[in-house]
Amino acid sequence: MLSDYIKKKRILLVDDEPELLDMVVSILEEAGYVNIRTAQSVAEALKAADEFDPDLAILDVMLPDGDGFGLMEKLKEKGDYPMLFLTARGEEEDMFRGFGLGADDYMVKPFLPKELLFRVAAILRRSYKEEDPLVKLSGCEIDLERAEVIRGGERIPLTAKEFALLSALYRNAGRIVTIDALCEAAWGDNPYGYENSLMAHIRRIREKIEDNPSRPVSLVTVKGLGYKLILARQARK
Amino acid sequence: MKSIPKLIRRFVLLLLLSIFLFLVLNIGFLIFYTVGHSTNGGPWTTAQEAAESMEETESGYVMSAAMQAELESENIWAVYIDNSTLKAVWRSDNLPDTAPLAYTASEVSSLTRGYINDCPTFTGTGEDGLMILGYPQKSYWKHMYASWDYQMIESAPRVAVTVLAANIIPVLLIYIGANAGLLRSVRPIVEGIRKLPEGEPVRLKEKGILSELAFHLNKTSEMLQSQKYQLRKKDAARANWIAGVSHDIRTPLSMVMGYAAQLEDSEYLREEDRKKASAIVHQSRRIKNLINDLNLASKMEYNMQPVIREEINAVALVRQIAVDFINMDVEGRYPVEWETDEELNICRISADKELIKRAVSNLIQNSMNHNEDGCTIYVAVSVSQPCCPAEKSAAAGEQAERIKEYCVISVEDDGAGASEEEIEKLNHAPHYMVCDTNTREQRHGLGLLIVKQIAESHGGKIEIGKGRYGGFGVKIILPLASNDRRL
Repeated sequence: MLSDYIKKKRILLVDDEPELLDMVVSILEEAGYVNIRTAQSVAEALKAADEFDPDLAILDVMLPDGDGFGLMEKLKEKGDYPMLFLTARGEEEDMFRGFGLGADDYMVKPFLPKELLFRVAAILRRSYKEEDPLVKLSGCEIDLERAEVIRGGERIPLTAKEFALLSALYRNAGRIVTIDALCEAAWGDNPYGYENSLMAHIRRIREKIEDNPSRPVSLVTVKGLGYKLILARQARK
Repeated sequence: MKSIPKLIRRFVLLLLLSIFLFLVLNIGFLIFYTVGHSTNGGPWTTAQEAAESMEETESGYVMSAAMQAELESENIWAVYIDNSTLKAVWRSDNLPDTAPLAYTASEVSSLTRGYINDCPTFTGTGEDGLMILGYPQKSYWKHMYASWDYQMIESAPRVAVTVLAANIIPVLLIYIGANAGLLRSVRPIVEGIRKLPEGEPVRLKEKGILSELAFHLNKTSEMLQSQKYQLRKKDAARANWIAGVSHDIRTPLSMVMGYAAQLEDSEYLREEDRKKASAIVHQSRRIKNLINDLNLASKMEYNMQPVIREEINAVALVRQIAVDFINMDVEGRYPVEWETDEELNICRISADKELIKRAVSNLIQNSMNHNEDGCTIYVAVSVSQPCCPAEKSAAAGEQAERIKEYCVISVEDDGAGASEEEIEKLNHAPHYMVCDTNTREQRHGLGLLIVKQIAESHGGKIEIGKGRYGGFGVKIILPLASNDRRL
């Protein structure tokens, strides 16, 4: 389900265990990623970063010649690209430190391949917009770049709130997004008491994207929990 | 510390009481002594009796035989003088030669007050004469010129009281002064003893009258501090050891899990081999959960897990957890039913978000682990109402009523469940991690122990029981943020 654009992104993988590197490489390759480079120490990683110019770095925290936090700071000086920690250090303080330094995600070993792939794909999609930003739904397309719904040749503009909600739903396409997360996406940090407004906005979005707004197929309700955006490919599947 | 002034007051009272007792005793003794030395009524009485016992006969005056015998036995001489002539009309046989037989008025006056030849004399008046008794030398001491200012006698009681007070007050002052000194040296020691059970280090100056006590107190504190340090060191070492072991297992387990998951999806393997790979993945995940649980449980147990509290919305948090599980459950074997009242969108609690997330996730994971063939999991958040009408009416006003309200997060399933006996055990038997005896029996999962530890660290509790849908059910009960009280 990954586009070639995403699959071609260069991924730098740093871990001191060669066997683990082999496994992660095999997981990424199986998923279709083609540009992967590995390093086993801070020195190797810095050298690789210069030569390889990665689009994403996956870093271990414990390395023979330093730690991943220091490495991340040095890499950030060289280039601004997303970074993900993949480490055996499961303490909250380590996690907070990683996020504090600007990590895009923090994964604790052991992990399931699917989990890693989902997070890598999510980071890449968020960081590198595809050339074709059209979201295909069963009855229409959404142009997120211009905040418009394209329906039967007609372009219907989205309001700011509708756009914020659809973006949040699209980032988690095929997965439930909670009422609270949607309220936060639309109304910010203190999103209490907007549940009714949210319902009104969802209704208006449906009027724009659904063939039959009272029987939605693209933007479905999960009672009590939240909403789910179903993409055309998924809908067909 | 408050008991010290009370103690001092008690001692002062005791002192006053003893002074009073001493006085009473002394006066009593004095009276007893004086009375004991004048059993026969005193010489004046004897003289009066002797005078009255005189009888005039034809051959002159005669003293009664009994009286005569009494006087003789005490070696007293006697002479009876006539009122008109002032000459002796009767004399005892033992009258010394030096004693005069005729008296002048001035001599009578003098002998009444004083002595004749150093013999103390006493007089008694008869019918027509005066009886003079002469006691042996040094038998009595007479005060010859006794006379007191009338005012002095009149004010005697007042003077006595004043003197008494003047005596008692200095004694009291000395006592209180001495006590204050003692109190000053007792105060730091009492303060030190108060600090001991609070675990604060105690370091007193070892001087003054109670230096020995201070020394021993310092020693005790040192010992307690060192024990506390050792205990903490031991706990920290144990928690670190567990953290270290679980860290070291993570990387190799990643490999097991990663490759097995790849094999699980491999197109080149036979169906049954893929199933075997799937079993490896499943079991690896269990080990992963176990490692995480073990680590957190040991940290919570040894108070090494910081609880960072902030005001959060329990409904939003639990809803996100439920959704995360639904999103993860691709095969749909463990559908999650959201049973929270649609009207309830906010339930504020003051809690560590990550820990509460962990607790609720553990409960859902627990239901999944115990129902390998799948089950429906029911998740709900509610605000508990006052338990009974009586209590409601007794609670005055809304404020008091709110105190009875708690945030209840419940996770139930319609799976295998547990027997009454097992539930009883889960609710009451200690887990092997927190129990120092009988480690063979309590081997239920760490998952529930953590949920319990987390609830308790937030001032809440958990209730384990049967679910309304036939399976297992656990409630996490937490205080609301607005009335943060321990359960």
